[in-house]
Amino acid sequence: MIGDIVIAGGGLAAQRCAETLRRSGHDGRIVMVCEERSRPYDRPPLSKEALHDGVDMDALSFRPDAWYTDNDVELLLGTGARGLRAEERVLELDGAPALHWDRLLIATGSRPRTLAQLARFDNVTSLRDAGDARILSRVLRPGARLLIIGAGFIGQEAASAARRAGADATIIEAGAGPLSHILGSEVGAWLSAMHHSRGVTLHLSSEVDSVSGGREVGSVTLTDGSRVECDHVLVAVGVTPSLDWLAGTPLGPGAIRADADGGTSLPGVFAAGDCAATLDPALGMHVPGNHWESAARQGTRAAKAMLGLDAPAPGISSFWSDLHGTRIQYLGHAQSADAVSFDGDREAHDFTATFTREGRPVAVLLAGRPQQLPQARQLLSTTTR
Amino acid sequence: MSYTATIDAGACSAHGDCEAIAPEVFRLDDVAVVIGSGEDELMLEAARACPAVAITITDAGSGVQLFP
Repeated sequence: MIGDIVIAGGGLAAQRCAETLRRSGHDGRIVMVCEERSRPYDRPPLSKEALHDGVDMDALSFRPDAWYTDNDVELLLGTGARGLRAEERVLELDGAPALHWDRLLIATGSRPRTLAQLARFDNVTSLRDAGDARILSRVLRPGARLLIIGAGFIGQEAASAARRAGADATIIEAGAGPLSHILGSEVGAWLSAMHHSRGVTLHLSSEVDSVSGGREVGSVTLTDGSRVECDHVLVAVGVTPSLDWLAGTPLGPGAIRADADGGTSLPGVFAAGDCAATLDPALGMHVPGNHWESAARQGTRAAKAMLGLDAPAPGISSFWSDLHGTRIQYLGHAQSADAVSFDGDREAHDFTATFTREGRPVAVLLAGRPQQLPQARQLLSTTTR
Repeated sequence: MSYTATIDAGACSAHGDCEAIAPEVFRLDDVAVVIGSGEDELMLEAARACPAVAITITDAGSGVQLFP
């Protein structure tokens, strides 16, 4: 008999955990501790359509308000986790009485990294939550000048949204090309060319050297000597696990190592989503989160494990991005590749990039070919599993 | 109403887009499951929207696979 289950976090992994617990027959107490004031919502649209269409919380929410009452899931909104007393099985909260738990899921996600030299300015934001998306969607007007620091997927999607809105977009990237440290120089070059063709200015192998402005950043000077004027700065230089609240426990501040079912080194404590580094049995290594599908699966698996139920072996997680109207999908782990081959037409944004290591496929990137995903998944599952 | 949908459970990652588009055909459990049938075009739309391309649509009359 499982007693109270507490879920620290209100993102995708947390939501999937709660849903799976109820669906699997757990009829005990479930409490979700959500730092944000909105009920759990989906984040990928925040850097995509929400920047164009505006932020509609009812559309972004995973479930309507009634779902939580109908399923007897207690939502503590605007309440952060503050501390863990693992031996007593107690979660301390900000501004609310501590909760006793029999099983605890830690799914507090991640927060954007910031840059100290930009921290004091009013027109500098990140893009992580609905509030950030609201600000950026208001900034993106014809003629507005958006400066983006970091050419990861968030930065590139913001550039794509900016151009769609008629705003200017400039990206500063420390690496030699967008995502080239992960996807290699050829895919990086393709992404660069795509942005150029859509009017995005890219400064590669470049960083912010100095910043001028009063309350707002007016311009930045880069390490390559160029100067970029801007109306707004988006800092998109990655995320770090939101685990400061676990100081003094054996967990954090780095991503929590979890087994394939989310179990941690502490009895009764599970971890999932962006704050976890979850064991991938096929790879034999702990993989940090930060992707939608892995967070969804981990939340589901943790719920099953809490109840002592078996979960099917996880499939290969993919993730997707939409850049300038082209759907990009990626699955596998290209970092270990020693070669990449292309099939299709890169200029037409219609191709498959297959990454291999010693001739064996380890990752696939699809551009403009969503219907090819099953074949890509099949290719990887027969060679890496 | 002659199309049938099947879901590759290993590929489905429970995005839920199919349920949102055609709730009379798809329901989200641990993964999406087919619970009924619906308008042909709606089923195709749901299959096209699936980010994991986990839905196959077949014309039950001719046996021809229509998507993906």
